[in-house]
Amino acid sequence: MRRGKGSAILLYGSVTALCLLWLVPVATAVMIAAVPIGQTRNGWWHAGFGDLTFDNLVEAWREALSGYAVNSFVIAVGSVVLTVIAGALASYAFARLRFAGKRVLYLLLISTMIVPVQIILIPLLPWLRTLGLSTGDLQFVGIILVHTAFGAGWAIFMMASFFADVPEELLEAARIDGARHGDILRRIVLPLALPGIASFAIIDFVFVWNDLLLGLSLLDREHQPLTVGLANLQSPHLAQENLVAAGSIIAVLPPLVLFAVLNRYYVRGLFAGGVKG
Amino acid sequence: MAQQTTTPATATRMPAGDARAAPRPARRRRGDRVAWLFVAPLALIFAGFYLWPAVQTILSSFFEWSLLAPFDPLDTSTWYPVGTDNYTAALSSDSFWNAAFNSLVWLIVFPVLVTGSALLVSVLIWHLGRFAPVFRTVFILPMTISLAAAGVIWSFVYNSDPDVGLLNAVLRVLRLDIAFDLGPLHVRTGEWLADIGSLDLGFAQLRLVNLALILPAVWAFAGFGVVTFTAGLSSLPGELVDSARIDGCRAGQVVRHVLIPHLRKPLIITYVVSVIFALRTFDIVYVMTEGGPAQDTTVLALLLWQQAFAFLTEPRAGVGAAIAVLMAVVMVFLAYPYLRSLMGGGSGDEAR
Repeated sequence: MRRGKGSAILLYGSVTALCLLWLVPVATAVMIAAVPIGQTRNGWWHAGFGDLTFDNLVEAWREALSGYAVNSFVIAVGSVVLTVIAGALASYAFARLRFAGKRVLYLLLISTMIVPVQIILIPLLPWLRTLGLSTGDLQFVGIILVHTAFGAGWAIFMMASFFADVPEELLEAARIDGARHGDILRRIVLPLALPGIASFAIIDFVFVWNDLLLGLSLLDREHQPLTVGLANLQSPHLAQENLVAAGSIIAVLPPLVLFAVLNRYYVRGLFAGGVKG
Repeated sequence: MAQQTTTPATATRMPAGDARAAPRPARRRRGDRVAWLFVAPLALIFAGFYLWPAVQTILSSFFEWSLLAPFDPLDTSTWYPVGTDNYTAALSSDSFWNAAFNSLVWLIVFPVLVTGSALLVSVLIWHLGRFAPVFRTVFILPMTISLAAAGVIWSFVYNSDPDVGLLNAVLRVLRLDIAFDLGPLHVRTGEWLADIGSLDLGFAQLRLVNLALILPAVWAFAGFGVVTFTAGLSSLPGELVDSARIDGCRAGQVVRHVLIPHLRKPLIITYVVSVIFALRTFDIVYVMTEGGPAQDTTVLALLLWQQAFAFLTEPRAGVGAAIAVLMAVVMVFLAYPYLRSLMGGGSGDEAR
C-alpha cells in the first residue's frame, strides 16, 4: 500500500496513543499495588523506584485472599474438567451421529448462550439444598455442576464444530477396520481436534474463574471464589486501596498467565464467535 | 485466523453422521441408543442444573416465596399461589422501571461503544502490518480480566480525590473542573461514581454515572470485537483497498464502501453478543456502586438479585423470578434472528 511518510507517523502515533490509554487502568492498579498506601494518597504517579514494594501483595495474599484463591482453583479446574469430558462425549454424538431429539436438545443448549443466567439463579439455592449440595465442601460439587450445565451449550457449540472438521474418510476407514465409537473418538477425533478442545478449555477456565454472580449467590463465605473475596475487600469504608489493588492483581494473574502462554488457542477460541463474556 | 469454518453459522454444519445408523428402523434405534450414551452425561447435568431450575423459575414466578421459605414444585405445602401478582408488582413499581431504564441505557450505549471502538482499533491496527499483533494484544488483554476486577481497577481511576484518582488529577492539571448546564443536559465532573450530572429526556432522567460504569465494561469487552473484526479483515484482499485508492477513493469512502460491507458478519456478531452481554450486566455495577447512589445505577440483573438474595426475610423471591422471566423473554425476542442463524440454515454463510 502506498502511503506518505507523514500519514504513517500519524497512524503509528494514534495507535500507540490508544494503546497507552488502554493500559492506563492496568498501570494504575499495578502502581497502587506496588507502592505503600501513603504514596497512593499523595499520587502514585509521583512514586520513584525506591518506593516499590511487594508488601501489599504479600499482605493481601496472607490476610485476605489465599483461601479464596484455593476455592477459585478448585471450582475452575473442576468445572473445566467436567465440562470438557462430558462436552467432548456429547460433541462426538452431535457432530458425527444421528439420533432422535438431536435438534431439540441442540436448540435448548444453544439458547443458554442467549438467555441470561438470571433465569436459573434464584431457585438454585433451594434446589442445591434439596440435593444436599449446600453444605461444606459439597458446595463445590454443586457449583461445579451448575457451571457445567451453564457451559454445556458453549461446549457443544465450539467442540462439535471442531469435531465436524475431522475428515469423514478417516472415520470411515476406521469403521471398516471394525473400530467402535469409543475408539474412533479416542484415537482419531480427539487427537485431531485437540487444539479446538484446548481453546474451549482455556475460555471456559477464564469464564468460570471470572464468575462473580454464582459464587456470590450459591456459596458460603468459606467456599467463595476470588472474585467475591475481591468485592468484599472493596468496601468504601475501609481505606485499604493498596490491598484492593494487590488483590485485583492476584485475581487477574492466573487467566493472564494462561493468556500469555496459550495466546493462540485463546484468540482462536474467542474467534469461534462467543457469547459467554 | 483464516479458519472461517469456526464462525457461528457454520458450527451447526454437521456431517450426515454415522452411515450405518440410517437405513433400517431397528438399526436406527440401536444407533440412537449409542448416540444417547455419548450425550447422556452432559444432557443429565444440563437437565438437572439448567433446565429444571429454569422451569422452577418460571413456575415460582406465580407463587409467593423467599429463600428462607422456598417454593418447591414437588411439595404442595410450600405453595402460596398469587397468580400474576408478582408480574404486576414488578411492572407497577418505580424501582423496576428505574432499573429497566438503566438496563436500556446499557443495551443501547454498550453495544454501540464496543462495536465502534473495536472497529476503529481493528482497522487502524490492520494497517500496521508487521507489528499489528503486538498492538492488538493490548486490546485483547482486558478480556481475560474479570469484570469484578475491572470494576475495582477502574474505581481507582475514578477516585474522587485528585491525589488518588488519575482522572481527576489530570483534570486538575488541565484546570478542567467542568460544570455546565446545556438545556436538558447537566454535567459536573469529579464524583465519577456518584453524580456527574444527568440528561433530562422528558419521560426519564438519564443519570450520566451509568456511562461511567459502561466505560469499564467496554474496556473489558472490546477485545472480543477486535478479534472478530480482525478475523473478518484477514480475508479482505489488500488489492481491493489498493484499487479503490487508485480509483481515487478517500479513506472515508474506502471504509464505507469496501470495509463495512466486507465486515457485515463480524459487525452483526459483535453487536448482538454485546447486546446479550449488556442485559446480563451485574458484576461491574455490584462492585463499583452496588446500584447506588440511591438506585441511580441499579440495572435489572442487580434488582432481581436484591429481590431474592438481599431481602431474605421478605417473600420477594417470586418478584425476582418474574423479573428473570421478563428479562429472558426480552432477550429471546431481541436475539431470535441470531439464535436462528446459530441453529444452522447456514445459507448466508456460503455466500462469502
